[in-house]
Amino acid sequence: MAGRCRPWHNQRVSSSTRLTVLSPLVAIAAVAAYVLLFRVALVRNHPEAYVVAFAVATALAVLALVGARHRRWPAWIALAFSGLLLIGGAWFNFVAARVPDTPTALRVGERPPDFTLPDASGRPVTLADYRGRKPVVLVFYRGYW
Amino acid sequence: MAELQGLGAQLSEAEKAGVEIVAISPDPNEQSQKVAEGLRLGYRFLSDGDLAVARRYGLIHSRGGPDGQDVPRPATVVLDRDGLVRWISVSHNFQVRPDPGDVLRAVRAL
Repeated sequence: MAGRCRPWHNQRVSSSTRLTVLSPLVAIAAVAAYVLLFRVALVRNHPEAYVVAFAVATALAVLALVGARHRRWPAWIALAFSGLLLIGGAWFNFVAARVPDTPTALRVGERPPDFTLPDASGRPVTLADYRGRKPVVLVFYRGYW
Repeated sequence: MAELQGLGAQLSEAEKAGVEIVAISPDPNEQSQKVAEGLRLGYRFLSDGDLAVARRYGLIHSRGGPDGQDVPRPATVVLDRDGLVRWISVSHNFQVRPDPGDVLRAVRAL
């Protein structure tokens, strides 16, 4: 009887509480893993994995909310946190980061258009100058930012 | 920056294969130089400020930049000693880059 009046005492940690804590941990771990392991091609090239992790975190928060007996607000906060990450992450990965498939001027076995561009010290570099000397890997990237 | 670190990982392996790695972006030269020195990248940065080369190659992500400007579509192209295209990887998601191992295999296969 006394135990019921004082829910903070002598109450074992419920599975709902555990899920409430686990949910944001899964979401934060996914963000941390993606940022820290960005140089690992396997991680970098599977950005959908963080969306899946956010979905798992959201599901855990839903379970926590369903199982909550007394205080429901921590589970609501966990749900809001993981849910917003899920929506934001899914939008970024599947909408914002998607590059439309437009035709390129590159065909295997053909010579690409020649060009001359300044290098880091301002010296002009011409692609055709490498011909007969060494293979070239051209990397087009978005920039410093 | 993280993107360039990804390129750096590519370099360390591909450099051993003895090829010229040419990184092309719309960045101003001084900025690229700073990045290259900071990360000790051995390859050449070329500045395609007005995206003329990216456009000629059909590698434009229209209004794909953070401010709605055109940006290059991430792409990696392996050319053999005769200047012919041997391998192409064009990104469908700007977070995704070719696996350095795949680039290296393409270079070794020349």
